[in-house]
Amino acid sequence: MAKDDTKNAPRANHGGFGGGGPRLGMPTAKPRNFWHTTARLFSYMRKYYFGLAVVLVFAITSQIFQIRTPKILGEATTEIFKGVMKGTAQQKAGIAVSRYPIDFDKIKQIILIVIVMYLLSAVFSFVQQFVMTRISQRTVYHLRKELKEKMARLPISYYDTHENGDIMSRAINDMDNIANTLQQNITQFITSIITFVGTLWMMFTISWKLTLIALIMIPLSLVVVGIVAPRSQRFFAAQQKSLGLLNNKVEETYNGHVETKTFNHEAKDLTVFKSENDRLYQSSWKAQMISGFIMPLMTFVNNLGYIVVAIVGGTAVAQGTITLGDVQAFLQYTQQFSQPITQLANLANTIQQTVASAERVFEVLDEPEMSDATVDIADVPNDDRKIAMDHVQFGYGSQDLLLTDYNLDVKPGQMVAIVGPTGAGKTTIINLLERFYDISGGSIKLDGRDTRNMSRDQLREHFAMVLQDTWLFTGTIYDNLKYGREDATHDEIIAAAKAAHVDEFVRQLPNGYDTILNEEASNISQGQRQLLTIARAFVADPEILILDEATSSVDTRTEMHIQHAMGRLLKDRTSFVVAHRLSTIQDADNIIVMNEGSIIETGTHQQLLAKKGFYADLYNSQFSGNADLALG
Amino acid sequence: MWQIMKRRMSPLAVTGATIFMIIQVIANLSLPRYTADIVNKGIANGDIGLIQHYGLIMLGISLIGILAAAGNVFLASRISQGLGRDLRNDIFTKVVNYSNDEFDEVGTSSLITRTTNDVLQIQNVVMMMLRMMIMAPITLVGASFLAYQRDHQLTTIFLYVIPIMFIVIGGLMFFAVPLFKRMQKLTDALNLVFREGLTGVRVIRAFRRDKFELNRFDTANTNYTNNALRVYSIVAGLIPLMTLIMSGTNVGITWMGANLIANQTTQTGNMIAFMTYAMQILFSFMMLSMVFVFVPRAQAAAVRINEVLNLETKITDPAKPVSLTDEHISLKFDHVNYRYRSAEKLALTDINLSMQAGQTLAIIGGTGSGKSTLINLIPRLYDVESGAVEVNGMDVRQVSTAALRDQISLVPQKALLFKGNLRDNMKYGNENASDDDIWKALEIAQAADFIKADQGLDTVVEQGGNNFSGGQKQRLAIARALVKDASIYVFDDSFSALDFKTDAKLRQNLKEDPKMKEKIIVIVGQRVSTVASADDILVLDNGKMAGYGSHEQLMQDSPVYQDIVASQIRKAGTENG
Repeated sequence: MAKDDTKNAPRANHGGFGGGGPRLGMPTAKPRNFWHTTARLFSYMRKYYFGLAVVLVFAITSQIFQIRTPKILGEATTEIFKGVMKGTAQQKAGIAVSRYPIDFDKIKQIILIVIVMYLLSAVFSFVQQFVMTRISQRTVYHLRKELKEKMARLPISYYDTHENGDIMSRAINDMDNIANTLQQNITQFITSIITFVGTLWMMFTISWKLTLIALIMIPLSLVVVGIVAPRSQRFFAAQQKSLGLLNNKVEETYNGHVETKTFNHEAKDLTVFKSENDRLYQSSWKAQMISGFIMPLMTFVNNLGYIVVAIVGGTAVAQGTITLGDVQAFLQYTQQFSQPITQLANLANTIQQTVASAERVFEVLDEPEMSDATVDIADVPNDDRKIAMDHVQFGYGSQDLLLTDYNLDVKPGQMVAIVGPTGAGKTTIINLLERFYDISGGSIKLDGRDTRNMSRDQLREHFAMVLQDTWLFTGTIYDNLKYGREDATHDEIIAAAKAAHVDEFVRQLPNGYDTILNEEASNISQGQRQLLTIARAFVADPEILILDEATSSVDTRTEMHIQHAMGRLLKDRTSFVVAHRLSTIQDADNIIVMNEGSIIETGTHQQLLAKKGFYADLYNSQFSGNADLALG
Repeated sequence: MWQIMKRRMSPLAVTGATIFMIIQVIANLSLPRYTADIVNKGIANGDIGLIQHYGLIMLGISLIGILAAAGNVFLASRISQGLGRDLRNDIFTKVVNYSNDEFDEVGTSSLITRTTNDVLQIQNVVMMMLRMMIMAPITLVGASFLAYQRDHQLTTIFLYVIPIMFIVIGGLMFFAVPLFKRMQKLTDALNLVFREGLTGVRVIRAFRRDKFELNRFDTANTNYTNNALRVYSIVAGLIPLMTLIMSGTNVGITWMGANLIANQTTQTGNMIAFMTYAMQILFSFMMLSMVFVFVPRAQAAAVRINEVLNLETKITDPAKPVSLTDEHISLKFDHVNYRYRSAEKLALTDINLSMQAGQTLAIIGGTGSGKSTLINLIPRLYDVESGAVEVNGMDVRQVSTAALRDQISLVPQKALLFKGNLRDNMKYGNENASDDDIWKALEIAQAADFIKADQGLDTVVEQGGNNFSGGQKQRLAIARALVKDASIYVFDDSFSALDFKTDAKLRQNLKEDPKMKEKIIVIVGQRVSTVASADDILVLDNGKMAGYGSHEQLMQDSPVYQDIVASQIRKAGTENG
């Protein structure tokens, strides 16, 4: 399930040509503690303060050059215009002019300066982005690493109480958000502010009167954003909601297509789908339209400013209070002016979303970790019990206690079967033995020592598990077998593979032991996966074995192989078996009977039958059917 | 892409959007002309009245421009989102009528992606097309024309600038695109390792391989980061280079312009206007290069959608369907062969069976032996290759699928409930069922207890029924099938998640129910105990009949059956005796 969750999760885009971040007018996730989280995010870049300083200085310098140049280039135009005016004056005076007296030396000089400035600006801008890439990617690398390390220190209860999809979305989507923002938006933020301030400054130096006129655009822009953005957000929210409902409907209908058809529900599903689809259309076209409207509106506001400046500036030139080059430069600045405003409004959204993402990642990093606290329970010297459960108390989280005073002795080499109906909580015992969960009272001892008084690694060294969930990692078959024990030799691994009937089918694969198991497990069958997990346990060669008998349907031959391999694996080992097979139960030295999470009976097969309790009932319901068969 | 757009997009609306865009572009492009006029005529002659006159014209044009833009955005939104809606409707209609064959061929999760994400992709690209992508060429043509009109000689500057721009963009793409593709793979690898760390946490910890996992993740993380550094370093060059090209163009125009003006072949205002056109031309080129990034993505989505739209289902209603009644309930397979679409081997070979009202048929066999395939032939989820399946005396291909399926109630292998409440779920196959009918079915299916303990029939059902355990879901799916009034009840391995006790009780209830006594029950099972008491047992092995008869008969003459029995109750006899 978790697999699907993340596959369907939207992939954040990776910047570059696509450009990142939500557009203006999209709804944003609001962070709870903006400044605190931002500070914490920046603390990850502490190592790179020098680099950040370089970025800042270069960004500012590059941007200042970029802003200054139009004015300098404007001087060239002024120079040209001057020459033209002089020329026409001469013409009017009756002097024949074949070539206007333009001061080309001066223009050459200006152009050279401008070229140098443009080049420097480009180089600085590149260096700035180049350094920022290094800072942001390394920062996110460390953040990812820290998250992964944290996951290794979180208790299993965290994994059990959080959906994989949710954790994945934090590790992937949120992390991507952070990476993109650090990569692009921080420098964008800086340059936008500089552009805004710088442009404003340049405009002031040219003409404060014209600047005041141009400034009218700011409140106008704000009004536009203020009117449009909330509406757009409302439609986007409605669109998102409809989209979610529609996707659910699609998923449900397609997954249940057998039901849909055999219950003749096609027409009804179609009607529901169509009306939901129509609702989506109604909100989505409006959302698209309104958000698409922001750009032209801003352009209009911009044009308005441009025209006013052109009229006023033109008049001023005519009156001789300002040069033509200055007006030309000013007009260029006017065009640039609204850009940073729109961009900053966009960035505000993106940055908020990123901080919200960072908050979600930090939330995981702040989860309480497993405790290594030891308990004050003395070792029992020369204990002849391999595993001893003394007065164990246990319950999941804050729920009621499932075990209140449980006792069980397991001698070396004994087999304990765990039985009970589906959902009876048979995995609880496994959780306690492997210390996936810690007990809340009493003591579980291994070789006479409380398991909490040894490290988890020390404890788990004594165990190996074969679960129904045949988890194997994406890697070669060989590496997956070696997973059982790091220092296993090649011969040991092949021997284990042979003992578990793995060798036979692996040799038939084109790449043999180097075959890479893929995530969907499409290259080997479910039964073969089960055999691999058994071989892995063989490689581990543990003293104590935890085994979950398979109920999943596999073909008869593989089934026989699995049984055979499990039998071999169990030989001469202390074992706990979640049993589904009659023979296993009958062979067990002790049977733990579970129902609704609690252990309700413990004893041998005969003892439990004699008791005529839950076990006897369970056993008979199954056995009576088989008894007929045996007679037949 | 074209195939998808044609017929689903109104040509009138698209033309409208294009016309609005043309107006918008013309408006945008005429502004510089008036700026030039202001400079050339107004300022040069010191005519303030003329400046204001042109200013007002500019304002008017600007207003026309924004109105045209509004029209374009309005139409573009409606067209693109409407296309998405129509596409979704078409795909959904198509898929709902697919037979299992088509579901197998395309894959359920792929069908979901095609209906949702792929359509969104198309929708977004069409929106972009109707706005940016038609804007670019129009602007390009318009600006080039105007620029040329202004000054022929200055136009030569583009002979240098445009090739340089192509080389720069092309060069960057050449290096960046493979890295971007690799990035996707490395992202997947990174996610994979993290996800495996979640799904395998117990195994990882039990085998003490946390360090190994950390190293594995670190390798993936390092690979990803290194690649990202390379990609973004290239991208870091893009903007500065583009800016440089544009600024360079301005410088070039100024220099060339100065010479031309000195020679009195052009005017200052022309030069200023030319610069504006030049910027617009270069911007259009950049926008056009975006086409190469987005269109292939949409194209891929379009291909996937077309696959769905062009795939015709093989199972259709006959032209003149014969009516089907439940007067004589029967089920017959007559020399049935079945082959999966384009498979070499037959999935079912020469299956023969015949059942009458009141009888129970059980089907047993290993995975892949063809059990589910066989029962899916009954409601005609697949069609036979040769031979015939008959329900109540009629060949299933002669009656309408709706009439046929009214007579069959199927519990699929994977129980699935629908979002809503329990009552709606139970009435899924029989809208007229009363609460009493439902409770009766729940009792038979051994589901009444936990439903009573919950909110009764008003119990909320989450998507997929995920608020129930596997065993509970199965029992509810059984109850739902029982509420439906049909001739044949089919249970496809529906007892697998039930413990032996519940399984036995449920079968007992079915046997004793007066209504069910007059129907045919088909049970597919893995456990001998589940199938043993049936009237007839069909043993399947590799799609062939490896035994057909009662338990006693099969114990005599079916070696495959004997094997299965032996593997499941190894010691039962000795223990009993």
